[in-house]
Amino acid sequence: MVDFSNQPAMKGFFAPTRFEADVYDCEVIGKVPTDLSGAFVRLGGDWFYPPISQDDSPFSMDGYINMFRFKNGVVDYKGRWVKTPRFQADRAAHRQLFGVYRNPFTDDPSVKGLDRSVQNTTPLAFGGKLFTLKEDSLPYEIDCNTLETIGPWDFHGKYKSLTFTAHPKIDPVTGEMICYGYEATGLETNDVFLYTIDKKGEVTRELRFKVPYISMVHDIGLTQKHVIIPVFGFVTSMERLKQGKVHWGWDSTRPAYVGIVPRDGEAKDIRWFKGPERATVHTLNARTEGEKVILEAPIYDSNPFPFFPPIDGSPWNPSKARAYIRRNTFDLSSKDDGFTEQTLFPMNVSDLGRVDDRYLSLPYRYAFTAYADRERPFNEWKAGNLAGRVNNCYGRFDLATGKMSSYFAGDTHSLQEVCFVPRKNGSEGEGYIMGVASNYAEMRSELIIADAQHLEEGDIARVILPFRATPQVHGRWFNEGELPFA
Amino acid sequence: MREKLLLTATSRVTRRSVLGRLAALGSALAVVPFRGLFFRTAFCQQGRLAIVSFHMDQPYLDWSGTAVPYHPPPGVRSAQGVAHLSEEMLRRTCICG
Repeated sequence: MVDFSNQPAMKGFFAPTRFEADVYDCEVIGKVPTDLSGAFVRLGGDWFYPPISQDDSPFSMDGYINMFRFKNGVVDYKGRWVKTPRFQADRAAHRQLFGVYRNPFTDDPSVKGLDRSVQNTTPLAFGGKLFTLKEDSLPYEIDCNTLETIGPWDFHGKYKSLTFTAHPKIDPVTGEMICYGYEATGLETNDVFLYTIDKKGEVTRELRFKVPYISMVHDIGLTQKHVIIPVFGFVTSMERLKQGKVHWGWDSTRPAYVGIVPRDGEAKDIRWFKGPERATVHTLNARTEGEKVILEAPIYDSNPFPFFPPIDGSPWNPSKARAYIRRNTFDLSSKDDGFTEQTLFPMNVSDLGRVDDRYLSLPYRYAFTAYADRERPFNEWKAGNLAGRVNNCYGRFDLATGKMSSYFAGDTHSLQEVCFVPRKNGSEGEGYIMGVASNYAEMRSELIIADAQHLEEGDIARVILPFRATPQVHGRWFNEGELPFA
Repeated sequence: MREKLLLTATSRVTRRSVLGRLAALGSALAVVPFRGLFFRTAFCQQGRLAIVSFHMDQPYLDWSGTAVPYHPPPGVRSAQGVAHLSEEMLRRTCICG
């Protein structure tokens, strides 16, 4: 018996959507640009069975991959569960067998040793294959046309880490993928394996090193010369896991470390810089300028996640869970381990930001992300008491001038992660922004498409789903030629 | 037979009866506290009091009991206030509203 009635946060718009879906020739308000040919692929999660504990993290939700397929101005939608061993074991048992986030000690004994991954974080297209990514396991290959799950992928046995990041970086100059796994040799290990994989999918380089303490290394920065590795605040231990807790807790006494290693360097070449309490969960872009390495990212003052609470028992502090677009500058010629931090825009933003990927690791100008504009109207009667608490705008942040332009989704909507789709042969920032809006009043999801250079003019098109799409973690646009689409 | 049933159903749902039911529903909505209608924003589990609050575009459970509660909108399909309505009644309600 599946019963979500005692899950108070899983109601209304946020009730689990437990179905798979195909919608052909989606309803569209406006006109879909015909030069958009490919697919916007979203990965996220939803609970197929209720979690065993209300303390669990949404990061434990079963992976669900879904795709808006664009062709000749027409959009089809398809959504499928990622059929992991975990998902299949739960289905067979008709209940949740797995315990809290990344803690196998809380699992039902019947699934001991089974891959616990839920594959719910980032879609990746690389080497002509579509993958789902989750940082606690290997990538899972997915059929790009049916979205059915093929299985884990280890790059012909050459990728040795047990885990694979949700944020590999693809160098637009060489086509190489720089990727890594942390807790690479198993649960509660401080090993990181960093890889270079060529555009055909062959591992060409491996670097093994250790981080100052075991922590979440969710994303990295990439320049043409260096890899930047943020380590911050989240801590774990075997003792903690044996107590039945979720994998991470927050330790505000831990400094934030940032490791910088040359892309052709060895473990001995890593230099660790140290700063105050911060959380750099996601990065925007990075570059090397002479002796300086510059990272730009939406950086939180402290713990962003209420479901990974402070280890000292104090309540999670929402006022510190705000991300600001910041620039960290690391001087490789300096003698100490300090670095500078500059806040580039005054408002806090969603940390799920994007840049024009053709400029990744290179000098660039524009960043895109969602944010909450408290000056815009919000209809609380139709959409709940969320005024100022939801991201109602997408912003284009001009890092050269400090100016921004914005797109407003409406007074009953919130916006999930933005995606930038460059126009073919266009200059930086020329193209479309795309992302899914939650329409709380109509209980449905809408894919927004807007001209990235004219955000104030509103959307060009909205692709309407007649239901609530599963929550997204990350979404990516893949052009027609990147995957073997039918 | 099917036509007869439809006729019976149609005649039962007259404009006057719909308005009457809407008035009754409106009265009920007016006297029930807003927060109690749709979500239990505070609840107990194993002796701990939690609040359903909202962060990063989704509700979460605040076990400190100090967060700003999340009150979802009234009148949406999944809300208790209209959960008992048939699809037809819901549509009529929306048209009249």
